[in-house]
Amino acid sequence: MDFALSNEQRSWQMTARKFAEEEIKPISLALDEAPDAHGTFDWDIVEKGSKLGLRTLAVPKEFGGEGTDYVTQAIVMAELARGDSAISKTFSQNWKWSHLIAQACNAEQKERFLRPFVADHRFLLGKGITEPSAGSDNRMPPKDDPKAGLKLRAERRGDEWILNGEKCFIANAPVGKLFFIDARTDPNAPLRQGTTMFLVPYDTPGFRIGKVFNKSGWRFYRNGEMIFENARVPHANVVGHVNNSDMKTEAAGDRTGGDIFGDLELAANALGVCDDACEAAMKYARTAKQGGRPLFDQQAVQLKINRMNMLTEALRSLVMRIAWEHDRKIHSANAGLAMNFSTDVIQEVTELNLEIHGGAEGMAGRHAEKLTRDAFIWSHLAGDSVQRLKVAGRLARMAAH
Amino acid sequence: MYSLSLSPEQHEFRDTVRAFVDGEVNPVALNAARLDLGDRNPPLEVLRSASRVGLRSLALPEELGGAGADALTCCIVTEELAAGDAGVAAVLGETAALARALFAAMSPQQRERFLPAFLEDDDCHLALADREPGADKALGIDYHRPVPQARALDATAVRSRDEWIVNGAWERVGNAGLARLFAVLARTDDGPALFLVPQGAPGLTVTEDPEPRWYHGSRGTVTLKDSRIPLDNRLPAGAATRGGEVPWPLAVNLGIGRAAYEAAVDYAKLRVQGGRPIVEHQAIGTKLADAAIRLEAARALIWRAAFAADRPDAVADASLPDLPHAAMAQAFAAEAIYRAVKDSAECFGAMGVMRDMPLQKYVNDARICLYGEGGTADLKLRIAEAVASYRRTPSMLAAE
Repeated sequence: MDFALSNEQRSWQMTARKFAEEEIKPISLALDEAPDAHGTFDWDIVEKGSKLGLRTLAVPKEFGGEGTDYVTQAIVMAELARGDSAISKTFSQNWKWSHLIAQACNAEQKERFLRPFVADHRFLLGKGITEPSAGSDNRMPPKDDPKAGLKLRAERRGDEWILNGEKCFIANAPVGKLFFIDARTDPNAPLRQGTTMFLVPYDTPGFRIGKVFNKSGWRFYRNGEMIFENARVPHANVVGHVNNSDMKTEAAGDRTGGDIFGDLELAANALGVCDDACEAAMKYARTAKQGGRPLFDQQAVQLKINRMNMLTEALRSLVMRIAWEHDRKIHSANAGLAMNFSTDVIQEVTELNLEIHGGAEGMAGRHAEKLTRDAFIWSHLAGDSVQRLKVAGRLARMAAH
Repeated sequence: MYSLSLSPEQHEFRDTVRAFVDGEVNPVALNAARLDLGDRNPPLEVLRSASRVGLRSLALPEELGGAGADALTCCIVTEELAAGDAGVAAVLGETAALARALFAAMSPQQRERFLPAFLEDDDCHLALADREPGADKALGIDYHRPVPQARALDATAVRSRDEWIVNGAWERVGNAGLARLFAVLARTDDGPALFLVPQGAPGLTVTEDPEPRWYHGSRGTVTLKDSRIPLDNRLPAGAATRGGEVPWPLAVNLGIGRAAYEAAVDYAKLRVQGGRPIVEHQAIGTKLADAAIRLEAARALIWRAAFAADRPDAVADASLPDLPHAAMAQAFAAEAIYRAVKDSAECFGAMGVMRDMPLQKYVNDARICLYGEGGTADLKLRIAEAVASYRRTPSMLAAE
């Protein structure tokens, strides 16, 4: 066994850590405390990070990206999240979908979409699956209800597809330039046999962004509604085959990178938040005083710090192992388990940190409270119980083979 | 006699307040702008309506013009109010509890001067300023150790002919921004005493605590600079400070939990995924079952603490063990309810974290109960001392 990082991995870690400390951390709390959903975003930080390669980290080198491995991506996500979890996610969301472009798009599409994505520091990607009446149904389609799942309709007219319907709770919707949109192309077939994925640029006629959501955590990470009113998408923008959407299915495996990367992504991001919380807790416990002595002198505080670090280091081991397994194309349910574990860990660790701070008063307390709000997002990402059930299902299928 | 029956009056209070919350509180509290954590000002119009149905003077004895509710009834009412709006419940809870303590402690002449105005003015809330900047209320490092030395009050009341001249500053004063009558704790030549200071007194300044708020209702800093207060505004010695130990803040916590849980049950019956209402899926059903268990267990402990407050002889006659019931109820309830609220919010998927939806507010409100001042960590130290029969002497308690 060898836990050492390569020089290149170490170098990316240092780049991300410096960027998080010098650029992200100083603006994180102020953006988080902006009163409305529009004041939470900052293009400058996106551009600065993009110039360091952080937006295009997962794009293959032949298309001008950084072509890093999963271990590097996990390390960078964690380092960025140590500065601000939502800013880290804003960058890594692009990696998730640039994996998809690189793996699932044809050569013409790659030229048409990957090149401009790499060239433009403000080019962000998104993917629209969820709809008002279709959330977990898209992830675990019920066998006895073939009509369940997304309803956004796409109908072919000559060389174009006409899209009608809406998407809801879509990350990067208000700021993205290109979206992968899953639409129902055969309304009579079950979800996975009747859905097609389309590449939809933000300026597509008939497509617009509706409500921008104001979240209680991850506030930098924009989220909105998408409205399609006779939106016209060229047939050349179909990803893969018609009625065969490369949705985040297990069948897609690591071909798209989407599903397994998404699991790793949340676990790695959580790790960075936990690192931030452990550091903040130790600093506060050693400096804040009660009864004339540092808080750290109290056993109750030491036990909390012990638990925070114990959970965080366990998560780190799991995250790094998953990333390493991804790079070696080792298939298992471990990434899903790591994501589930990270939901429990990030919430407990950030809550213990808030408890050590004695609530959200003062700058340190406000930061501690922000981390608990960011951590609570994990329970709401693609339905936490649903994700756990999916992983159990995968384990059962593996046991059957 | 062991009985869990509520009295007819308690049933009536609960029904009345529940109807009041449905009709007057919810339309304001569930408004998107108020759900957003950006607007946490207690809604004055709602507080006025609540006063008109007698909730401001709920705990004031009947002979003084109040409803004379006991601690258990106060908890029942506060839970109902908090299920609508935690801020409204906190303001009314503080005023009602202080009314009971302060007006009972007043001399007949003082009552004549202050009680009619309190009863007549629907906006008259009460505040107790007894905590000075830098005063450390936590037990913490002093767990199971004698407190080194008594800390003298900085605030002073000096007698000058027919007036008191009061100087001092107090922080974390509940209801500060709304109070029309303050009781402030200051040092005199013959020991600490409480003084009644009406809003508008010369030299009185009140500042609401800055955003983001980490409390329910209203809280702020009170200062008095060379304030001249009539001689008769000094409360008689031995005036209770905290309001007869009605554990109403615990009921605020309970109301928050119930609101989240009830919203989740309603939604789980309506929301269809996986071909059926989500309540029919085990993953959601067991979450709601856990929430129900936690809330009922919390209510049982909170009501027991209220019962202990209403029955001072309950320990002596061995009806209850000699334990800090309110502290134990608070510590258990804060953790159990926070878990219940988080599980309830999770049932809503992405809507559980949207700021124009109620669930994120319930999560925030429950978090304040758990990690706010007097959070569970310090409570457990106090409970541990009691469990070990480590008794703080009156002088040690006075020093805290």
